Amino acid sequence: MSGSFDMNRNRAVDWALVVYVVLAYVFVFAPIAASFVFSFNSDRFPSIPLGEFSLDWYRAVATDPLVWEGARNTLFVGVIVGICSTALGFGAAYTDYRYKFAGKQVYLALALLPPTIPVIILGLAMLAYLSRINLSGNALSVIISHVVVCAPFAMAIIRLRLSQMDPALEPAAWNLGASEWMAMRHVIVPFCAPAIFGALFITMAVSFDEFAVAWFVSGLNETLPVKVLGFLQGQVSPRINAIGTFVFILSMTLVILAQLLLSGRGAKPADQE
Amino acid sequence: MSRDTLVSFEGVVKTFGGFVAVKKLDFEIKKGEFLAIMGSSGCGKTTTLRMLAGLEAPTEGVIRLSGKPINDLPTWSRDTPMVWQSLALFPFLNVRENVEFALKMRGVGKAERRRRAEQWLDRMQITEFAERNISQLSGGQRQRVALARSLVVEPEILLLDEPLSALDAALKVRMQSVLKNLQRETGITFVYVTHSQSEAFSMADRVVIMSRGVIEQIGTPQEIYRTPRTRFVADFLGSSNLFSGKVRSGTVGFELDAAVGTLRLASPATVGETATLTVLDTKTHLSTTAPAGSVNAVPVKVIGEEFVGATATVYLETAQGQEIRVQKSHDELTGLPLGIGQPLYVWWNPEDGHLVGEG
Amino acid sequence: MRRPITLYGLTFSLPLLIWQVLFFVFPLLFLVALSFWTVKNFVMSPDFDTVNWTTMYGRAVFWQAYGNTLALAAAAAVLTSIFAFPASYAIAFKMSDTARRWAVFLMVIPFFTSYLVRIYSWQIFLSDNGIINVILGWIGLGPFQMLNTVGATMIGYLTLAFPLVVLLQLFSLVFIDRTLIEAAHNMRCGRLRTVFEVVIPSARTGLVIAALFCFILAFGDFVSPVYLGGGEPTTLSILITDTTKSGQQWPRAAVIALTMIGTLMVVAFAAVKFAYKGKSK
Repeated sequence: MSGSFDMNRNRAVDWALVVYVVLAYVFVFAPIAASFVFSFNSDRFPSIPLGEFSLDWYRAVATDPLVWEGARNTLFVGVIVGICSTALGFGAAYTDYRYKFAGKQVYLALALLPPTIPVIILGLAMLAYLSRINLSGNALSVIISHVVVCAPFAMAIIRLRLSQMDPALEPAAWNLGASEWMAMRHVIVPFCAPAIFGALFITMAVSFDEFAVAWFVSGLNETLPVKVLGFLQGQVSPRINAIGTFVFILSMTLVILAQLLLSGRGAKPADQE
Repeated sequence: MSRDTLVSFEGVVKTFGGFVAVKKLDFEIKKGEFLAIMGSSGCGKTTTLRMLAGLEAPTEGVIRLSGKPINDLPTWSRDTPMVWQSLALFPFLNVRENVEFALKMRGVGKAERRRRAEQWLDRMQITEFAERNISQLSGGQRQRVALARSLVVEPEILLLDEPLSALDAALKVRMQSVLKNLQRETGITFVYVTHSQSEAFSMADRVVIMSRGVIEQIGTPQEIYRTPRTRFVADFLGSSNLFSGKVRSGTVGFELDAAVGTLRLASPATVGETATLTVLDTKTHLSTTAPAGSVNAVPVKVIGEEFVGATATVYLETAQGQEIRVQKSHDELTGLPLGIGQPLYVWWNPEDGHLVGEG
Repeated sequence: MRRPITLYGLTFSLPLLIWQVLFFVFPLLFLVALSFWTVKNFVMSPDFDTVNWTTMYGRAVFWQAYGNTLALAAAAAVLTSIFAFPASYAIAFKMSDTARRWAVFLMVIPFFTSYLVRIYSWQIFLSDNGIINVILGWIGLGPFQMLNTVGATMIGYLTLAFPLVVLLQLFSLVFIDRTLIEAAHNMRCGRLRTVFEVVIPSARTGLVIAALFCFILAFGDFVSPVYLGGGEPTTLSILITDTTKSGQQWPRAAVIALTMIGTLMVVAFAAVKFAYKGKSK
C-alpha cells in the first residue's frame, strides 16, 4: 500500500513511529494487564515486587453472596438488553435501509444519539423519569435504560451489514413470488444473521460493562459493575481485579464470537461478480 | 389489441418527484417474441421493465398482461420473473436452493420442488454445481443459475435487465446464443433491456429504442439499421454519417442544401423543411479523384484509421470540419493512399441515402 | 412497489421510535420540567419555580466547577488528539493491511473491558507506593505524588478516550487519497510539511469529530476526577452525583445536567461546523 512512496521514506522517522505505536498500546493495555496480573497476587495493597501467586481474591469474590447476586443481575439484564436492543436496532436499520420518509433525519437522530449523551446525565434523567412513573429501583429500570443506550449499537452493526447487501436481493425475492414478510424471513434475516448475532453479543457486552446509568437507576438490584463501583468507593480491594478479569474474559468471549460471526464464512458481502 | 398481444402499455407515465423517467409509453409486446429495449442510461428503459415487473407503479396509464390491467398487482402476485443486472442470487443459499426459491414461495411441496428444480438445473447444465455456494461459481455459471431460478415457475414472460453486462466479450457472445436458443425452444416472451446494440440486434426479433423517456422507434433490427426513423436513432446506432440541411427541389429531383455542399436525394421530400440525410458507413466509398456520374461526392482529408478484425474504418474530415466515416474490408482499401492529411473524395449513391426527421 | 405506510413497514420502524420517545426523549424533557420543581422537607413537588436555576447559577462553586470541567475537557480533547495522532498516522500509513487490521482489533478490546477496573488499575500504578514510584525509587528518584492530581485525572480521560480517538482518526486517515501525498512530495513538500499541509487538512473532519467525542466523554465523566483526581478540582459531573445521591436535590441536579447538555450542544455544533467548513459534505 504505502510501498508506492518507499524512496521518500526515512528509516529513523519510521522507527520512531513504530516505537511510538508500541508505547501507545502499552499505555492502553497496561491497566488491563496489571489488573489481570494482580488478580493472582496475594498482596492487599498491590505493587511491585509481586507477592505470591494466590487465588484468594477469586475465592473472596466467589464466596461473596452479593457478588453472585450482582453477577446474576448482570447476566439477567444483559441477556434481555441484548435481545431487546438487537430487535429494536434491527427494525431501525431495516427502516433506514428500505424507506425514505419525511422526518427520517429525526428518526435516525433518535436511533443513534443516545450514546453521545453523557451517561451521568442519562442516569439522572432516567432515575427521575422512571421513579416518576414508578419503574425505578429494579432490574427492569436498568434494562429499560440499557436498551436506550445499546439499541443504537445494534442498529449501526446491522445497518452496516445491510449496506453490504446487493440492493436487488430483496426485490428479487418479491419478484420470485415472496411477499414482503416472506422476503424478510427468507432473505433479509438470513443475510443479516451474522450481524444480528454480532449485535446481540456486542450489546450484551456493553450492558455487562455499563455502570453509571445502572448505578443511578438500579436501586437495590445492583449489577456487577455497580458493585465494582461500590468496592472502588469503599475499601480499595484487589477483588476488583478478580471481578475485572472474570468480566473481561466473559466480554472478550462475546466480542470474539461476534467478530467471528461478522467476518466469518457466509458473512462476505454479496459478490457482484 | 390483437390476440397475440401479451403485454400492452397504454399511456404509461412514470415520474419520480419532479423527474419524468417515462413520458408516455404506448406499445405492445407480442406473445413469444424476443423484444429488446435499448437506449443509453437514463432513457427510461429500466424503469419500463421495472414497471412491468411490478417494482415501480406507473404514475399514469395502464399496463395489461394478457389483457388484464396489472397496475395494482404487487410484484409477488405477478408471474413476471426478472433476471437482474447483478443477478441478485441469494448468497446464503446454494445453487439448488436458489433455483427452488420461487417454488418454495408459491408453497410447492418439497418433492415437487426438487423435481422441477432438477429439470431446470439439467436444462441449464448446472446439475453438477447444485450443492455449491454462489461464490464458488464462475460468471457464466451464475448466469445459468439466474436463468434457471427465474424460469423454474415456467412463466409466460421473462424480463432481463442487462444480465450480460458483467461478462467478458467471448462469454457474452456465448451467452447470447444460449439466451436466443432458450427463448426459441421455450417460446417464452423475453423482454431484454440493454444499452448494447450488438446484444439487442443479434438476439431480438424486435427492438425498441428509447430516449429521454420516449420511444424513438420500434422495429426489427433490419428495419432500424437500414431505415432509422429519427436523427436520434441514426446518431445512437453510430453506423451512419449524418448531413443536415434544407430540402429544395433541384434539376432532377430533390436536393439537400447541406454544409458540405448540395446532396442529391433519391426519394421525395417536403421542400423548405430542415432534414437529415443518413448514409451507412458501409455504403460510403472512397476515391482519389472526383467520381463521375450522378453520385454524391464530398472532398475530404484523411484524419485517421482504425482496424477491427477484417474491417477498417477510415476517419475523414470535410473542409467544414465535419467528420465522416467509411467502413471497408482491408481488400477494398488496398491501393488507396491513406496517410494523414491525404485529400480524397467520399461518395455514395443517392439510393443509399435515407432521410430522417429532426426528432 | 412502495406504498408510503404499511403494517409491514411500521412493524419494523415503530418499536424503536416508541421506545426512544418513551425512554429517551421523555426523560430528557422531564429533566427540563424537573428543574422547575421545588423541594421542601426532602419532598419534591411539581411546581414552576425558577428557584433551582437562580440558586445554582448564583453559586460561585457552580461556576468554578463549570470552568474546571470546561478546561479539563478541552485539555483532554487537545492532549488526546495530539497523543493519538502519531499513532493513528503510523497505523494508517506505515503498516501493512494485516498489521493494520490487528492494530484496529487491539484498539477495540479496551471498549469491552470495564472502565472502572482500568481506573482501579491506574491507582495501582500511580499511588505513593505504586508501581511507578517503586521503579523510580530503584534509580533514586521520588516518591512523587501522582494519585489525586490533575495529571492523574488526565490519565483517566486518556484511558477513556484514547482508543476511540485513535480509531476515529485512523478512519479518516485511511481514506485520504494517497496520490495527494505523492503529489505533495512531487511538488517538493517535505515529509513533515506534507503532514501539516496535506494530511491534516484532508482528514480535518475526522480529526475534529474525534476531538469532539473526547470532549464529550471527558465532560461527562465522573470516575476519573473522583478516583484518580481525588475529587479535586470539582467538576460538574461530581456536582451532579453529589447533588443526586445525597439528599433529594434532583431539581438542582437537573439544572446542572441541562447546563451540561446546553454546553455540549453548543460545542458539538461549533465543532461540526468547523469540521465541515468549506465542504459541501
